[in-house]
Amino acid sequence: MLNIVLRTLRTNPAVPLVAALVVVFSLLSPFFMTGGNIEAMMGANAVVLIAAVGMTFVFLAGGIDLSISTVISASAVISGLVMAGTDNIAVGIATALAVGAAFGAVNGLLIGMCGLTPFITTMGTQLVARGIAFVMSQGVAVKGTPYALMDFGFAAFLGIPATTIVGLAVVVLASLTLCGTSWGRELMLVGSNRNAARYTGINVRKMEFSVYLVSGLLGGLAGFISIANLGNAIPGVGDTLLLMIIGAVVLGGTSMNGGEGSISRTLIGVGLLAVLINGLNLLGIPFYDQLIVQGVLIFVGTWMAARLSRRRA
Amino acid sequence: MYDDIFRSLTRQKWLPIALATIVLGATLSTVSPAFLTFSNLESILVQSSVTAIMAIGMAFVIMSGGIDISVGAILFFTSALFAQLMMDTGSYPLAFAAALACSTGLGLLNGILVVRFGISPLITTLATYSIYRGAAIHLTGAQNIPVPREMGFLGNGEIWGIPVPILLLGLIFVIGIYALTQTRLGVYVRAIGNSDRSARESGLPIARVTIAVYAIGGVLAGISALILLARVGGLQSGIGIGIEFTVIAAVILGGTKLTGGTGTVTGSVIGAVFLVLIDNGLNLMNASPYIYDIVRGGVLLVAVAVDRISALRRERQLRLQKTARLRETHGLA
Repeated sequence: MLNIVLRTLRTNPAVPLVAALVVVFSLLSPFFMTGGNIEAMMGANAVVLIAAVGMTFVFLAGGIDLSISTVISASAVISGLVMAGTDNIAVGIATALAVGAAFGAVNGLLIGMCGLTPFITTMGTQLVARGIAFVMSQGVAVKGTPYALMDFGFAAFLGIPATTIVGLAVVVLASLTLCGTSWGRELMLVGSNRNAARYTGINVRKMEFSVYLVSGLLGGLAGFISIANLGNAIPGVGDTLLLMIIGAVVLGGTSMNGGEGSISRTLIGVGLLAVLINGLNLLGIPFYDQLIVQGVLIFVGTWMAARLSRRRA
Repeated sequence: MYDDIFRSLTRQKWLPIALATIVLGATLSTVSPAFLTFSNLESILVQSSVTAIMAIGMAFVIMSGGIDISVGAILFFTSALFAQLMMDTGSYPLAFAAALACSTGLGLLNGILVVRFGISPLITTLATYSIYRGAAIHLTGAQNIPVPREMGFLGNGEIWGIPVPILLLGLIFVIGIYALTQTRLGVYVRAIGNSDRSARESGLPIARVTIAVYAIGGVLAGISALILLARVGGLQSGIGIGIEFTVIAAVILGGTKLTGGTGTVTGSVIGAVFLVLIDNGLNLMNASPYIYDIVRGGVLLVAVAVDRISALRRERQLRLQKTARLRETHGLA
């Protein structure tokens, strides 16, 4: 019994933090544990969850994708414009995924095939994606979202918002891909030791290309979900999300150095930030004090996760 | 003699960005006759002073193998503290001393956290970015605060006919070059960036140098904050958002490697000027302000790609030289 608890703690160091926060907030606020609040909390974080899964893949491979935040904006805007013209949700999804995949492919080509530094390359594509989002939308929210999509954004099953169900489905699929396919295992090997991976015959360049492609695709999906959540495609939607996305992944305990981490850890990391922000909002803490708490938590959480995994090794 | 100058010039890492800046400037001057006037060139330097000063600090951080995402938040915190103190006390000496001490302190804190806890500098400064920014808004209660009119001297004033921001930039530029090339600190910074391990094995004071590097980044962000505050005329909520990426872009454009170990102060300053020239050019063409991001991103991608190509070419040249030498020594001609 004790063994199981200890093992969970080591593989998911953020679990006790989430539990502690849930207890504290439900003691401090009578609204925290209500169905309506839990539903709102989950719905508000579906976009971050999907994007964080993409970032987890990139981190596991030893890279970083700064562009994912504004790829969300660009794919939301372009898909929103297409849907405003066609009123067709299927075309909208396809557009969002295609835009995300296009940015992912550019990142993958430059980083994987040409060997450019991930940080600077994705910083460049981040700016390009942001510019495209603002140019195409003229800087204002894109109107004309199909009603069916807005209904989808409000829909919930068993108290779980439909957008969150999409996010959870992505988590399950990503987890299965990472643990159950040779692609996932090769990805972990590339992240933990590039040279060893090359000597075992893995095509490292192709691997890196596919990782950024996946991250771009998930950015596109997150952009589409953001339209359902907010009712409109907003060009600045991704700008403030980067801190949340990276914070959630590292808080969950996935290392930026590659090879160490999992999708389930990211799910818990997103849950941790979601609970924290929701609870602080309920307590009436202003946004600037939330920034302080968020920063401290990201630092302390990452430090604890690093210590726990070091002890195991 | 000319050969020597040519050879030493082509070895400078800032040469590509300098040439690109000259070409861009020449293009702009054909588009608009107003470009090559003394006052326009002067105003371009003034406009680039804030990012250029911060880029000098960032160059040291990146050369040591680190990165500082929090500089924009340090800039914002320093502006907030200065404006708030000026409003409350009206004392310039107090406000200046507090602003400079505080920005140095925030940089020191970054360095201490990086050294003491061993978390990647990116995550550490991402966390402090959030903390500093939140603390600054907390301090001022999310208000916009004007600064006294005399403060404008730092932004628009002149000494001996030279604008104050350019003087400050020049002074910091000279000190930066001196510190990097003539002092032990400069050598240590590059040694640590080159190989953390060999630096440790040769007994260099890694912790102290790392902390010093982040403190330099902090104090230069603080000085930039005062110039920016003077130019803008008061504290505004958007100050410093996204500036860290512009500053990093200037350093990378200037020829400094993100992996650390090598870099130049000169290139970082020219990189900052180059970015302002691009804005200037887009402005001349009446481009939509939203296009700016696309062009900046594109420039950055081209810069890293060009850098990569030249590195590959150098590698191939070295390999060819090596095989040629091997053939010679083994008589396989």
